[in-house]
Amino acid sequence: MNNDLKPVMEGIFEVGPPSRLNGAICPECNKKFFPKPMVCPHCLGEVQNIELSTEGKIYTYSILRTKPPYGLPQPYAVGWVDLEADGLRIFSLLDPDRISDLDFGKRVTLRVGAIGVDNNGQACLRYYFTPKDGGEQ
Amino acid sequence: MRSVDIIGVGITNFGKHIETSLVELGGRVAIEAIKDAGIKPSQINAGFFANMQAANIFTDFTVGQNVFWQAGINSVPVFNIENACTSGSSAFNLAWMGVASGMYDIAIVVGAEKLVVPNLGLMQAGSTELDTLEGLVVPNAFAMRANLHMATYGTTKEQLAMVAVKNRRHAGLNPLAQFRSPITVEEVLNAPMIADPLTRLSCCPNADGAAAVVLCASDYSRQYTSRSVNVAASVLVTGSYENPCNMAQWDADRRASSIAYERAGLGPQDLDVVECHDAFTISEIVHYEGIGLCPEGEGGRLLESGATSLGGKIPVNPSGGLLSKGHPVAATAVAQIVEGVRQLRGEAGACQVEGAKVFMAECMGADKAGDIKSCTVNILQN
Ligand SMILES: [Zn+2]
Repeated sequence: MNNDLKPVMEGIFEVGPPSRLNGAICPECNKKFFPKPMVCPHCLGEVQNIELSTEGKIYTYSILRTKPPYGLPQPYAVGWVDLEADGLRIFSLLDPDRISDLDFGKRVTLRVGAIGVDNNGQACLRYYFTPKDGGEQ
Repeated sequence: MRSVDIIGVGITNFGKHIETSLVELGGRVAIEAIKDAGIKPSQINAGFFANMQAANIFTDFTVGQNVFWQAGINSVPVFNIENACTSGSSAFNLAWMGVASGMYDIAIVVGAEKLVVPNLGLMQAGSTELDTLEGLVVPNAFAMRANLHMATYGTTKEQLAMVAVKNRRHAGLNPLAQFRSPITVEEVLNAPMIADPLTRLSCCPNADGAAAVVLCASDYSRQYTSRSVNVAASVLVTGSYENPCNMAQWDADRRASSIAYERAGLGPQDLDVVECHDAFTISEIVHYEGIGLCPEGEGGRLLESGATSLGGKIPVNPSGGLLSKGHPVAATAVAQIVEGVRQLRGEAGACQVEGAKVFMAECMGADKAGDIKSCTVNILQN
């Protein structure tokens, strides 16, 4: 991986291996968040940084066939992934090389890689989930 | 709160208005609505102008004052409002609140939008939002809901396509609609794919357009017109942003319509005609369920039964909906209310639902955290 590249948004993930998403937890409400909020929206208390689970399953997904934004591959897929260990459903890019393997309930693993460009048109790192079985990249 | 009536409406056709500026589009409908109401501009106590994209496309802002002065409205409070697809109904909700509260006796709402410009591209939320940076654009947000609805309830691609077919059939009866020739289920399914399972004919096209309504305290409306229509309820809610969010349903539809039904003293069984936010075919099916036209998961089958076609039990989008008219974002939800007024006045021409007495306009705007940013439900009654 090209380590000179910046993340698509600062502070969202740690580049691995293993790469991790930076979440947060409110110790009062015991609720987890991604991305990290300024304060807990339920009690306005301070939240603590946590690393989120790197494993999840696909809740729903779709494949965009038309001209993509941010220099993403055409076609590309996005979805909502359930991080069951955290009780969180998060939005994510899905592995552009594994589009035909996507399905509801499919087990997926977090990756970080150089995909597309950022708001300044610079190549950048994005987080994405890839199907777990086979297809090791 | 006082009872509020709509006493005047104005609307342009939805389509290409290349030669007409945004300000002129808005001015035209304001003038039409004021004349329709039988009032003078000086009798209007406040103006509410809705627009979403003028700042992005034309680097123009606070457009409302320019719009309203063309129609002779000055000196009074003027507000410029943006709330995505519900910009127009949000402006309406504020105007209703202003009149209902007693602050104003007469208020005007204009929604206007110009989107038919080269290289507009896919609409997406702001470039500072993480979901947008990770590839969320409007069509794939709706495609994810469509896929989930099909997997959860057995809704079929054919049923999704039938929404576009029905609304296009209705549009054939509406001279103001942009696309009026009939289409078939096969044509919808075989159109170029935008985001599986939504093809180009499953997504509403862009359009320019404007619409206006004049609201008046019911105590005074009879002085001006015999064709007033009562606002039985006007409700705006936002998303809950709880995680995890159920994306096969729109909880906001359910919450907004429950409040509206309660305030109006009505239920879904009392509705005669509905205009809803069919930005994508899947949207209309999920809205059926959210506003209580059928149980959860039954939207596709309700559509297939013909109940929501003109002539059916509860016609939805008799105007042709956004799928046929196009979606001039901030004009859309005001135009829905204009359609409702015309239905209840018996002035909807070939789109008329015979004897319509109760109308609902449902609209929804923008995604956030898998939920929505804004949802409006307005019930009008004769
Ligand atoms: Zn808390």
